[in-house]
Amino acid sequence: MSNVINVGMADYKTASTPDILMTAGLGSCVGVCLHDPLLKVGGLAHIMLPKANGKTGDNPFKYADTAIALMLGEVLALGGMRGRLRAKMAGGAQMFSFPGKPPILKIGDRNAEAVAEELKHLGIPLVTFDTGGSFGRTIHFDLKTGELRVRTISHGEKII
Amino acid sequence: MEISQTQLDVLREIGNIGSGHAATALSTLLQRRIGMSVPEVWTVSFEQMTGIIGQLDDPQAVIYVKVEGEAPGKAVFFFPVESAAIVVQALFQSEETPDLYADELVQSALKEVGNIMVSSFLIALSQFSGIPLHPSVPALAVDMAGALLDAILLEEGTLDEKVLFIDTQIFGIPRIEGQFIFLPGAGSLHKLLGALGL
Repeated sequence: MSNVINVGMADYKTASTPDILMTAGLGSCVGVCLHDPLLKVGGLAHIMLPKANGKTGDNPFKYADTAIALMLGEVLALGGMRGRLRAKMAGGAQMFSFPGKPPILKIGDRNAEAVAEELKHLGIPLVTFDTGGSFGRTIHFDLKTGELRVRTISHGEKII
Repeated sequence: MEISQTQLDVLREIGNIGSGHAATALSTLLQRRIGMSVPEVWTVSFEQMTGIIGQLDDPQAVIYVKVEGEAPGKAVFFFPVESAAIVVQALFQSEETPDLYADELVQSALKEVGNIMVSSFLIALSQFSGIPLHPSVPALAVDMAGALLDAILLEEGTLDEKVLFIDTQIFGIPRIEGQFIFLPGAGSLHKLLGALGL
Protein backbone atom coordinates (compact mmCIF):
# COMPACT_ATOMS: atom_id res chain seq x y z
CA MET A 1 0.00 0.00 0.00
CA SER A 2 1.40 3.35 -0.95
CA ASN A 3 0.66 6.40 1.13
CA VAL A 4 0.03 9.76 -0.48
CA ILE A 5 1.87 12.30 1.63
CA ASN A 6 0.76 15.90 1.30
CA VAL A 7 3.45 18.58 1.26
CA GLY A 8 2.19 22.00 2.37
CA MET A 9 3.40 25.38 1.21
CA ALA A 10 6.87 26.32 2.39
CA ASP A 11 7.52 22.77 3.51
CA TYR A 12 9.20 19.59 2.33
CA LYS A 13 8.75 15.89 3.00
CA THR A 14 10.95 12.91 2.33
CA ALA A 15 9.78 9.33 1.80
CA SER A 16 10.61 6.01 0.17
CA THR A 17 8.92 3.55 -2.17
CA PRO A 18 6.00 2.88 -2.55
CA ASP A 19 4.90 6.24 -1.18
CA ILE A 20 3.78 9.18 -3.26
CA LEU A 21 4.54 12.79 -2.36
CA MET A 22 2.10 15.42 -3.56
CA THR A 23 1.58 19.16 -3.40
CA ALA A 24 -1.51 21.00 -4.65
CA GLY A 25 -2.11 24.32 -6.36
CA LEU A 26 1.34 25.50 -7.39
CA GLY A 27 1.08 28.95 -8.98
CA SER A 28 4.27 30.98 -8.95
CA CYS A 29 5.63 28.47 -6.40
CA VAL A 30 7.84 25.61 -7.57
CA GLY A 31 7.70 21.96 -6.54
CA VAL A 32 11.15 20.37 -6.65
CA CYS A 33 11.79 16.62 -6.26
CA LEU A 34 14.95 14.71 -5.48
CA HIS A 35 15.12 10.98 -6.25
CA ASP A 36 17.60 8.17 -5.80
CA PRO A 37 16.44 5.69 -8.49
CA LEU A 38 18.31 2.74 -6.98
CA LEU A 39 17.17 3.01 -3.38
CA LYS A 40 13.88 4.65 -4.42
CA VAL A 41 13.97 7.33 -1.77
CA GLY A 42 13.53 11.03 -2.27
CA GLY A 43 11.82 14.23 -1.29
CA LEU A 44 9.52 16.98 -2.50
CA ALA A 45 9.77 20.66 -1.51
CA HIS A 46 7.18 23.39 -2.12
CA ILE A 47 9.32 26.47 -2.73
CA MET A 48 7.68 29.89 -2.49
CA LEU A 49 10.46 32.40 -3.09
CA PRO A 50 13.95 32.42 -4.62
CA LYS A 51 16.34 33.58 -1.95
CA ALA A 52 16.36 34.10 1.78
CA ASN A 53 19.01 36.81 1.34
CA GLY A 54 20.46 35.96 4.69
CA LYS A 55 17.20 36.74 6.50
CA THR A 56 17.49 34.94 9.77
CA GLY A 57 14.63 33.82 11.96
CA ASP A 58 12.53 33.33 8.85
CA ASN A 59 11.18 29.95 7.79
CA PRO A 60 14.02 28.45 5.68
CA PHE A 61 11.60 26.09 3.94
CA LYS A 62 10.16 29.04 1.98
CA TYR A 63 13.27 29.67 -0.09
CA ALA A 64 15.01 27.78 -2.90
CA ASP A 65 18.47 28.58 -1.60
CA THR A 66 17.81 27.17 1.88
CA ALA A 67 15.06 24.52 1.58
CA ILE A 68 16.66 22.28 -1.06
CA ALA A 69 19.88 21.82 0.90
CA LEU A 70 17.90 20.93 4.03
CA MET A 71 15.83 18.41 2.09
CA LEU A 72 19.00 16.96 0.55
CA GLY A 73 20.38 16.32 4.03
CA GLU A 74 17.28 14.34 4.92
CA VAL A 75 17.31 12.33 1.67
CA LEU A 76 20.92 11.39 2.35
CA ALA A 77 19.99 10.39 5.90
CA LEU A 78 17.41 8.00 4.41
CA GLY A 79 20.27 6.31 2.58
CA GLY A 80 20.11 8.19 -0.71
CA MET A 81 23.48 8.49 -2.41
CA ARG A 82 24.41 11.96 -3.54
CA GLY A 83 25.98 10.87 -6.82
CA ARG A 84 22.81 9.00 -7.84
CA LEU A 85 20.31 11.75 -7.11
CA ARG A 86 18.21 13.22 -9.91
CA ALA A 87 15.96 16.28 -9.70
CA LYS A 88 12.72 17.37 -11.38
CA MET A 89 10.66 20.49 -10.94
CA ALA A 90 7.28 21.95 -11.89
CA GLY A 91 5.44 25.21 -11.30
CA GLY A 92 6.73 28.76 -11.58
CA ALA A 93 3.76 30.17 -13.50
CA GLN A 94 2.72 33.77 -14.04
CA MET A 95 -0.95 33.54 -13.06
CA PHE A 96 -2.15 37.10 -13.68
CA SER A 97 -1.43 39.68 -16.31
CA PHE A 98 -2.48 43.30 -16.17
CA PRO A 99 -2.92 44.87 -19.60
CA GLY A 100 -0.18 47.34 -20.42
CA LYS A 101 1.70 46.55 -17.23
CA PRO A 102 4.42 43.96 -17.60
CA PRO A 103 5.14 42.34 -14.24
CA ILE A 104 8.26 43.76 -12.68
CA LEU A 105 9.37 40.66 -10.87
CA LYS A 106 7.99 37.59 -12.67
CA ILE A 107 8.36 35.71 -9.44
CA GLY A 108 7.47 32.34 -11.06
CA ASP A 109 10.40 32.56 -13.48
CA ARG A 110 12.70 33.68 -10.73
CA ASN A 111 11.66 30.77 -8.52
CA ALA A 112 12.37 28.27 -11.30
CA GLU A 113 15.74 29.89 -12.02
CA ALA A 114 16.67 29.89 -8.33
CA VAL A 115 15.80 26.20 -7.98
CA ALA A 116 17.86 25.30 -11.07
CA GLU A 117 20.76 27.37 -9.79
CA GLU A 118 20.65 25.79 -6.34
CA LEU A 119 20.55 22.26 -7.82
CA LYS A 120 23.57 23.11 -9.93
CA HIS A 121 25.30 24.44 -6.86
CA LEU A 122 24.56 21.18 -5.02
CA GLY A 123 25.70 19.13 -8.01
CA ILE A 124 22.34 17.41 -8.62
CA PRO A 125 21.30 17.10 -12.28
CA LEU A 126 17.92 18.59 -13.18
CA VAL A 127 16.72 15.91 -15.59
CA THR A 128 13.38 17.41 -16.59
CA PHE A 129 11.02 20.22 -15.71
CA ASP A 130 7.61 21.68 -16.52
CA THR A 131 7.59 25.36 -15.60
CA GLY A 132 6.19 28.69 -16.75
CA GLY A 133 2.90 29.37 -18.49
CA SER A 134 -0.08 30.96 -16.80
CA PHE A 135 -1.77 28.02 -15.14
CA GLY A 136 -1.69 26.23 -11.80
CA ARG A 137 -0.30 22.74 -11.24
CA THR A 138 -0.87 19.92 -8.78
CA ILE A 139 1.94 17.38 -8.72
CA HIS A 140 2.36 13.78 -7.55
CA PHE A 141 5.84 12.33 -7.23
CA ASP A 142 6.07 8.54 -7.23
CA LEU A 143 9.10 7.33 -5.27
CA LYS A 144 8.87 3.88 -6.85
CA THR A 145 9.28 5.09 -10.44
CA GLY A 146 10.60 8.61 -10.04
CA GLU A 147 7.74 9.81 -12.23
CA LEU A 148 6.30 13.24 -11.64
CA ARG A 149 2.64 13.58 -12.62
CA VAL A 150 1.63 17.17 -13.38
CA ARG A 151 -2.11 17.90 -13.36
CA THR A 152 -3.67 21.18 -14.49
CA ILE A 153 -7.27 22.35 -14.82
CA SER A 154 -7.29 23.47 -18.43
CA HIS A 155 -3.92 22.39 -19.82
CA GLY A 156 -4.17 18.63 -19.44
CA GLU A 157 -2.05 16.23 -17.47
CA LYS A 158 1.39 14.86 -18.16
CA ILE A 159 4.08 12.70 -16.66
CA ILE A 160 7.63 13.95 -16.74
CA MET B 1 2.24 45.06 13.69
CA GLU B 2 0.08 44.58 16.77
CA ILE B 3 -3.60 45.34 16.33
CA SER B 4 -5.68 46.53 19.25
CA GLN B 5 -9.28 45.54 19.78
CA THR B 6 -10.44 49.05 18.80
CA GLN B 7 -8.41 48.94 15.61
CA LEU B 8 -9.82 45.52 14.84
CA ASP B 9 -13.35 46.86 15.29
CA VAL B 10 -12.59 49.74 12.94
CA LEU B 11 -11.18 47.40 10.30
CA ARG B 12 -14.27 45.25 10.59
CA GLU B 13 -16.38 48.37 10.15
CA ILE B 14 -14.35 49.34 7.07
CA GLY B 15 -15.08 45.87 5.74
CA ASN B 16 -18.72 46.20 6.59
CA ILE B 17 -19.24 49.53 4.84
CA GLY B 18 -17.04 48.73 1.85
CA SER B 19 -18.30 45.22 1.26
CA GLY B 20 -21.87 46.42 1.77
CA HIS B 21 -21.42 48.87 -1.08
CA ALA B 22 -19.79 46.18 -3.23
CA ALA B 23 -22.63 43.72 -2.55
CA THR B 24 -25.22 46.38 -3.38
CA ALA B 25 -23.40 47.11 -6.66
CA LEU B 26 -23.47 43.41 -7.55
CA SER B 27 -27.12 43.19 -6.63
CA THR B 28 -27.97 46.12 -8.91
CA LEU B 29 -25.88 44.69 -11.72
CA LEU B 30 -27.40 41.21 -11.57
CA GLN B 31 -30.89 42.24 -10.48
CA ARG B 32 -30.70 39.66 -7.72
CA ARG B 33 -30.66 39.68 -3.98
CA ILE B 34 -27.08 39.59 -2.72
CA GLY B 35 -26.24 39.16 0.92
CA MET B 36 -22.99 39.19 2.82
CA SER B 37 -21.52 37.92 6.05
CA VAL B 38 -20.20 40.10 8.83
CA PRO B 39 -16.59 40.73 7.71
CA GLU B 40 -13.80 38.97 9.54
CA VAL B 41 -10.37 40.48 10.07
CA TRP B 42 -7.73 37.76 9.95
CA THR B 43 -4.07 37.94 10.87
CA VAL B 44 -2.83 34.51 9.89
CA SER B 45 0.03 32.67 8.25
CA PHE B 46 -0.06 32.11 4.53
CA GLU B 47 -0.85 28.42 5.07
CA GLN B 48 -3.82 29.27 7.26
CA MET B 49 -5.02 31.79 4.70
CA THR B 50 -5.22 29.12 2.04
CA GLY B 51 -7.50 27.15 4.36
CA ILE B 52 -9.86 30.12 4.48
CA ILE B 53 -10.03 30.30 0.68
CA GLY B 54 -10.87 26.63 0.18
CA GLN B 55 -9.20 23.56 -1.30
CA LEU B 56 -5.90 24.47 -2.97
CA ASP B 57 -6.73 22.88 -6.31
CA ASP B 58 -10.42 23.81 -6.44
CA PRO B 59 -11.18 25.68 -9.66
CA GLN B 60 -12.20 29.24 -8.95
CA ALA B 61 -12.67 32.39 -10.99
CA VAL B 62 -10.55 35.03 -9.33
CA ILE B 63 -10.77 38.71 -10.12
CA TYR B 64 -7.79 40.63 -8.86
CA VAL B 65 -7.73 44.42 -8.63
CA LYS B 66 -4.83 46.44 -7.31
CA VAL B 67 -5.76 49.33 -5.07
CA GLU B 68 -3.75 52.39 -6.00
CA GLY B 69 -3.46 55.71 -4.22
CA GLU B 70 -2.10 56.79 -0.87
CA ALA B 71 -2.90 53.53 0.88
CA PRO B 72 -2.29 50.83 -1.74
CA GLY B 73 -3.47 47.26 -1.35
CA LYS B 74 -5.08 44.37 -3.14
CA ALA B 75 -8.74 43.50 -3.60
CA VAL B 76 -9.62 39.98 -4.69
CA PHE B 77 -12.88 38.17 -5.45
CA PHE B 78 -12.97 34.41 -5.33
CA PHE B 79 -15.92 32.78 -7.07
CA PRO B 80 -16.11 28.98 -7.33
CA VAL B 81 -16.53 28.26 -11.05
CA GLU B 82 -20.17 27.15 -10.58
CA SER B 83 -21.01 30.53 -8.99
CA ALA B 84 -19.03 32.48 -11.58
CA ALA B 85 -21.06 30.73 -14.28
CA ILE B 86 -24.31 31.78 -12.57
CA VAL B 87 -23.07 35.38 -12.30
CA VAL B 88 -22.35 35.41 -16.04
CA GLN B 89 -25.71 33.83 -16.86
CA ALA B 90 -27.45 36.49 -14.78
CA LEU B 91 -25.49 39.25 -16.51
CA PHE B 92 -26.18 37.94 -20.00
CA GLN B 93 -29.71 36.86 -19.08
CA SER B 94 -28.92 33.56 -20.70
CA GLU B 95 -29.33 29.93 -19.62
CA GLU B 96 -26.33 28.83 -21.66
CA THR B 97 -23.35 27.48 -19.73
CA PRO B 98 -20.56 30.01 -20.25
CA ASP B 99 -17.00 28.98 -21.09
CA LEU B 100 -15.09 30.66 -18.28
CA TYR B 101 -11.73 29.44 -19.53
CA ALA B 102 -11.72 30.65 -23.12
CA ASP B 103 -14.64 32.95 -23.98
CA GLU B 104 -13.29 36.49 -23.98
CA LEU B 105 -16.71 38.07 -23.71
CA VAL B 106 -17.43 36.00 -20.59
CA GLN B 107 -14.08 36.92 -19.14
CA SER B 108 -14.47 40.63 -19.75
CA ALA B 109 -17.94 40.47 -18.15
CA LEU B 110 -16.42 38.94 -15.01
CA LYS B 111 -13.68 41.57 -14.96
CA GLU B 112 -16.34 44.23 -15.18
CA VAL B 113 -18.15 42.69 -12.20
CA GLY B 114 -14.90 42.92 -10.25
CA ASN B 115 -14.30 46.46 -11.41
CA ILE B 116 -17.72 47.67 -10.33
CA MET B 117 -17.59 45.91 -6.97
CA VAL B 118 -14.09 47.09 -6.11
CA SER B 119 -14.85 50.64 -7.22
CA SER B 120 -17.87 50.68 -4.89
CA PHE B 121 -15.76 49.29 -2.07
CA LEU B 122 -13.07 51.93 -2.61
CA ILE B 123 -15.47 54.84 -2.88
CA ALA B 124 -16.89 53.86 0.49
CA LEU B 125 -13.42 53.40 1.97
CA SER B 126 -12.18 56.73 0.59
CA GLN B 127 -15.19 58.57 1.97
CA PHE B 128 -14.80 56.90 5.33
CA SER B 129 -11.06 57.54 5.64
CA GLY B 130 -10.57 60.66 3.53
CA ILE B 131 -7.76 58.88 1.67
CA PRO B 132 -8.13 58.87 -2.11
CA LEU B 133 -8.01 55.32 -3.49
CA HIS B 134 -8.68 53.99 -6.96
CA PRO B 135 -8.74 50.58 -8.66
CA SER B 136 -6.35 49.28 -11.32
CA VAL B 137 -7.66 47.59 -14.44
CA PRO B 138 -8.90 44.19 -13.20
CA ALA B 139 -7.14 40.92 -14.01
CA LEU B 140 -9.00 37.61 -14.18
CA ALA B 141 -7.80 34.04 -13.96
CA VAL B 142 -9.81 30.82 -13.73
CA ASP B 143 -7.64 28.19 -12.14
CA MET B 144 -6.67 26.44 -8.90
CA ALA B 145 -7.47 28.64 -5.90
CA GLY B 146 -4.11 27.98 -4.21
CA ALA B 147 -2.15 28.76 -7.36
CA LEU B 148 -3.94 32.09 -7.75
CA LEU B 149 -3.53 33.02 -4.11
CA ASP B 150 0.21 32.28 -4.08
CA ALA B 151 0.67 34.42 -7.20
CA ILE B 152 -1.15 37.34 -5.56
CA LEU B 153 0.66 37.14 -2.24
CA LEU B 154 4.15 36.49 -3.57
CA GLU B 155 4.01 39.02 -6.39
CA GLU B 156 6.48 41.41 -4.74
CA GLY B 157 8.93 38.64 -3.98
CA THR B 158 8.47 38.84 -0.23
CA LEU B 159 6.14 37.28 2.29
CA ASP B 160 5.57 38.27 5.86
CA GLU B 161 5.03 35.59 8.49
CA LYS B 162 1.50 36.87 9.04
CA VAL B 163 -0.94 38.22 6.48
CA LEU B 164 -3.66 40.66 7.52
CA PHE B 165 -6.81 40.81 5.47
CA ILE B 166 -10.49 41.61 5.64
CA ASP B 167 -12.67 38.73 4.50
CA THR B 168 -16.35 38.90 3.54
CA GLN B 169 -18.51 36.08 2.29
CA ILE B 170 -20.94 37.05 -0.44
CA PHE B 171 -23.99 34.99 -1.27
CA GLY B 172 -26.70 35.55 -3.83
CA ILE B 173 -30.01 34.01 -4.40
CA PRO B 174 -30.02 31.55 -6.00
CA ARG B 175 -26.76 29.64 -5.69
CA ILE B 176 -24.08 32.32 -5.85
CA GLU B 177 -21.23 32.06 -3.38
CA GLY B 178 -18.18 34.20 -3.36
CA GLN B 179 -15.54 35.67 -1.14
CA PHE B 180 -14.16 39.17 -1.14
CA ILE B 181 -10.75 39.85 0.33
CA PHE B 182 -9.04 43.15 0.94
CA LEU B 183 -5.33 43.10 1.74
CA PRO B 184 -3.87 46.44 2.83
CA GLY B 185 -0.32 46.88 1.57
CA ALA B 186 2.68 47.40 3.84
CA GLY B 187 2.20 50.73 5.60
CA SER B 188 -1.36 51.18 4.33
CA LEU B 189 -2.97 49.78 7.43
CA HIS B 190 -1.18 52.34 9.52
CA LYS B 191 -2.22 55.11 7.17
CA LEU B 192 -5.86 54.03 7.11
CA LEU B 193 -6.06 53.70 10.88
CA GLY B 194 -4.20 57.00 11.28
CA ALA B 195 -6.67 58.77 9.00
CA LEU B 196 -9.44 57.48 11.23
CA GLY B 197 -7.72 58.93 14.29
CA LEU B 198 -6.46 55.64 15.72
